[in-house]
Amino acid sequence: MVFFIARNLGLLAVLWTLPVLIGDYNTYQLGLYLLYAVAAVGVAVCWGQVGFLPLGQSVFFGLGAYISGWSLRAFGESWEVWPLLSLAVIVPALSAWLIGWLVFQGKKESGPYFSLITLALSMLAFQLATSWNSITGGFNGLSGIPEFGGLDSFGSLYYLIAFCLVLALAGSSWLLQAPLGTLWRAISQNEPRLVFLGYSTGTLKALAFGYSGALAGLGGMFYAPHQGLVTPDLCGFILAAELVVWTAVGGRKSLLGPVSGVVLVGLLTSELRDVFAYWEVLVALLFIGVVLYLPNGLSGIFKPLSGLKKTKISPEIAIPARSSVSANGGLSLLFDNVSSQIGTVHILNKLSFHIKTAGIYCMIGPNGAGKTSSFNVLSGELPLSDGTIQINGQPLKLAQHRLSALGISRKFQFPSIFPELTLREHLSIPLWSNQAKAHQYLDHRLHRWRSQVLSSLLIQFPFLSNQHNLASALSHGERQILELVMTLIAEPKLLLLDEPCAGLSPQETKHVIETIREITQENNLTVIIIEHDMQLVRELAEHLFVLHQGNLLAEGNVLEIQNNEQVKAVYAGGSKT
Amino acid sequence: MESLLVFNSLNILYEVFSLLLVALGLGIIFGLLRVMNMAHGEFISLGAFTAVSCQMAGLSYWVAFPATLVVCGSIGFLLERFLIRQLYNRPFDTLVATWGLSILLRKLLELGFGKGYQSLELPLSGSVSIWGTGYPAYRLLLMGFIVILVGGLTLWYNRSSAAMRVKAMIGNPELAESVGLNTQRLACLTFICGVCCAGLAGTLLAPLYSVYPAMGLDYLLRSFFILVIGGVGNLWGLFTGAAIIGGLQSGLAVLVNQTAGYFAVLIVAIIFLWRNPDGIFHRA
Amino acid sequence: MKNENNLNRRNFLLSTMAASTALATGTSLLNPASAAGSLKIGLMIPLSGPAGLFGPSSKNCAELAAETINNRGGIMGRPVELVFADAGVPPAEATKTAIRLMLSERVDAIIGMHDSAVRAAVIGALKAKIPYVYTPVYEGGECAKNTYVVGETPPQQLAPVIPWLAQNKGVNKWYMIGNDYNWPRLSNEAAKSYIASVGGKVVGEQYLPFDVNNFDANIAQIKDSGANGVLITLVGGASVGFNRSFAGFGLADSVYRLGTLIEENTLLGIGAENSKNLFSSAGYFGNINTLENQNFVQRFQEKFGAKAPVLNTLGQSCYQGVLLLEAMAKRAGQWDKAKLAATAEGTTFDSPRGTVTLRNRHVDTNVYLAEANGVSFEVVKTFPNIGSGATCS
Repeated sequence: MVFFIARNLGLLAVLWTLPVLIGDYNTYQLGLYLLYAVAAVGVAVCWGQVGFLPLGQSVFFGLGAYISGWSLRAFGESWEVWPLLSLAVIVPALSAWLIGWLVFQGKKESGPYFSLITLALSMLAFQLATSWNSITGGFNGLSGIPEFGGLDSFGSLYYLIAFCLVLALAGSSWLLQAPLGTLWRAISQNEPRLVFLGYSTGTLKALAFGYSGALAGLGGMFYAPHQGLVTPDLCGFILAAELVVWTAVGGRKSLLGPVSGVVLVGLLTSELRDVFAYWEVLVALLFIGVVLYLPNGLSGIFKPLSGLKKTKISPEIAIPARSSVSANGGLSLLFDNVSSQIGTVHILNKLSFHIKTAGIYCMIGPNGAGKTSSFNVLSGELPLSDGTIQINGQPLKLAQHRLSALGISRKFQFPSIFPELTLREHLSIPLWSNQAKAHQYLDHRLHRWRSQVLSSLLIQFPFLSNQHNLASALSHGERQILELVMTLIAEPKLLLLDEPCAGLSPQETKHVIETIREITQENNLTVIIIEHDMQLVRELAEHLFVLHQGNLLAEGNVLEIQNNEQVKAVYAGGSKT
Repeated sequence: MESLLVFNSLNILYEVFSLLLVALGLGIIFGLLRVMNMAHGEFISLGAFTAVSCQMAGLSYWVAFPATLVVCGSIGFLLERFLIRQLYNRPFDTLVATWGLSILLRKLLELGFGKGYQSLELPLSGSVSIWGTGYPAYRLLLMGFIVILVGGLTLWYNRSSAAMRVKAMIGNPELAESVGLNTQRLACLTFICGVCCAGLAGTLLAPLYSVYPAMGLDYLLRSFFILVIGGVGNLWGLFTGAAIIGGLQSGLAVLVNQTAGYFAVLIVAIIFLWRNPDGIFHRA
Repeated sequence: MKNENNLNRRNFLLSTMAASTALATGTSLLNPASAAGSLKIGLMIPLSGPAGLFGPSSKNCAELAAETINNRGGIMGRPVELVFADAGVPPAEATKTAIRLMLSERVDAIIGMHDSAVRAAVIGALKAKIPYVYTPVYEGGECAKNTYVVGETPPQQLAPVIPWLAQNKGVNKWYMIGNDYNWPRLSNEAAKSYIASVGGKVVGEQYLPFDVNNFDANIAQIKDSGANGVLITLVGGASVGFNRSFAGFGLADSVYRLGTLIEENTLLGIGAENSKNLFSSAGYFGNINTLENQNFVQRFQEKFGAKAPVLNTLGQSCYQGVLLLEAMAKRAGQWDKAKLAATAEGTTFDSPRGTVTLRNRHVDTNVYLAEANGVSFEVVKTFPNIGSGATCS
């Protein structure tokens, strides 16, 4: 905290003393670029942290500038201007949030489609600003905008801008260190995993985009009085692309990166454009070079300064076990004539089974029998073409991220983790899920939460105690265990495990089996395990389901299955039905 | 007013065909290689400027076709080898790097030809009467040529073994690699093919439009919207996209005005992207 | 960073204060920065961006003007020195450039050849501290303090020309097509009254976004409307594209075209086979057949050689701008912005465009109507001394 305050105050001190050193004119120029930098910080949050690239950030910059310019022209220095000016931040923020919410809802990735939407929006905004003469002044713009609260754009306004930039930087780094920031980074690492841990990633991304919209609006708000003129090009594609270029060159992974990118490239361009005709060729080459060789931009040369600072471990806050864990345990799961079909391919074919009590169930069957697919239908990865799935007698019809609240946890076949997140963050994310209230995701104390389950798992698997290590440094086996631990921390009632021991050493396998058994007994858990290793199956399973060609072939305890003629026939190599 | 109807219909048809031509190269590069190629417009400019150079050198317009293939082929090869190859599977980086590339190519064209407008003589002047409506002969020729080009590519894509390999590479690169396909070479050839298609579009359209170094951007954006709406990876989708975009822009331009058409295209593209984000990559 | 860039704000304020005190007490005080030597003029011309095409001709015309003036002794005995800067940039960049020219280059005046959005930015930046001359074709209506306009306004380009076309070519049904922004809309607004006054009518009016390059729908409308004249206020590549399509559809034979921003470069892009019956109205064409202009063209070609850029009204307007400053200074008898402003009205000078007179801070000037012949223009009619319609006091 002390460091945080000191760093931002230091930055503010540097920015405040600069005018004395560089003189009026340069201060004025710098002021303009610091405004762009405020918007670029928003681009960096979206692109560098959350992992989606906004290609139309100028829309919100322009929106803020038009609202601010219009208000200042209409009300000048009377009091009405203040509430209106706040709209220059609020309106862009809300529109960005709404766009993000609409676009990201129900999706688990942020591919190029989002960038293209924002690009199209910037073209739309430019044309609207040009055509809508009566409000925007058309191509010639809204001119004669008075100064802002009597602040001279050659002097005092700069200090306000510098203050706002530092505020934006401090706010952003505070947000990124809050639990919300952890979730944002988790999205960029592995969005589907986060969904299965119970988070609505669409909502989280909309928040990030809304925040970046607020920053762009803030930049635009000061742009109007700083320049005295607002023109349609502020909404256009060129400024949007420049914001991305600056962010990329400066470094999208850090917060000071985009600021240095804007100041370096932007200022140099405006200085050298008149002197050196083919300056833009150089910039283009520099730009391509940075993308190829310095994916984290110029600031990537230095160690990342913000975000991942190792904080001292503060006393932990114990939280109680989830009240939802009922005494009779488990939950009942019914697959009733479930079919799943993509195109003409039948993946599941009238699969029916019923699990009524807690315990360990194993699902076996040859490759392509539909084991993983039945998990996928349950968790919404595959379409449910026919039949019903019931949980505790209720038909299942939920958004994927809600399954976790119902008490369903899933571990994937290949370890699905967040490579660039620390172990501590991995353990925290499922701990918070369905447990923390929305506003608490801004509360840094959440990082210190610890539950009973977590404590006992930490003892079981000591490697997890190196809390500042990145998951990318783990071995394959450790990753498997990490993911399993994550699903367990969520304290589920129904646990779906897809080959949890694949790739583990015998030692690790033993450990994992013990853990699963222990937790199942303690918490009255229902566990369904997909497994090929019959040795393991014998050791673990109380009840077996044998799947074949998308259908249930047989069920029973180990002995019954071993003596089942049909099962024998299938495993003997035939495909007899 | 029958002749006006014929005239407008021919115009819309022409618009759809020319858009198909414009988007073809991007369809190949973005559709098959997943490279968000922001320099597509500049590849079109390259073809147009090759035609201009041929005219300057006193050569026939038709010489521009082999010349474009040579120019675009070699530039495509160099770009794939030294830039694009490092960026497969890094969609945002590709986008940003090709944006830089587009600026670079535009500036180099300015350096070579100046910023002014170039005028290319129509290789085929005069008009042909269709149901009593005169229509420029070159446009008709162009439409015929596009049918042949697109038809040929479709046939090739559906039949040839090279296309099979390309499809295998897209479907599962690791598997393709393991059964002995040289995916690196295939990707390179695909990229070159895309650049050449864009270049040919430029050469073909240059006599009808204005040719100047910054001409590419409009073509780029329109191509993206076509792909967004129609999806890539199959030519029918590309045609649907071109038909929707071209029909919407031209139709509304006739019925309301050009600005309405422009807005409609953007809004439809946004809706498509929003409701059907995977539509871009759906293949039949 | 160069030392003079580090202009101290307080010093700047002091010197402007000193200047205004001097003014109030009636004593003349030369600007200390330029007292010793040259008169510096900042030229903001498009070196990049879509209008970058006009950069070279603008630059060379301004250089020729400076040479001409320096050969006859400079302005008030001070040699003219030009500082060029890029104005083909967004307004915010142009603001900075204007401020840099004023504060660190300490120019005595700025001449601008750029779009109207940049003009608003420059005027906002200069705050009338130094004289500013705006030179290109524009929509009219700029009356900011210490701002002078030498470019053509819609009334100049259209008021005499539309009646002439009605009378001599029988054009009475007009279709208007332009890009969707202020200049085309205001030009067409003006045109409508001239068309009405000669009994013609407007049969269609369309505005296109900048990045539309398909004009088929408009061409169908033109065919359908029975228009015999098209007023074109498209700019740049769009103008080229439209004219090529227009002629490609065989309309050039029967329908006249009049452009108010079709200069020599645009005509080159349109091409010889597409330029039949294409008229352009402007204050300047390279082919104006007067002794004054032939002299100018000859000197231009001698100075800049075989590779000299094509002369056009936008580029040549920079020459006009420099000449205007010279004439104003001569009339004021001293270089002082207030004195210049006070005596500006009625300033007159001879130029390649003919004799030009400043009225309402705009100019009365000859307007030329040219017809395309292949890829060059031939002036078919000169309208002498046409007023700008400006009402600045």
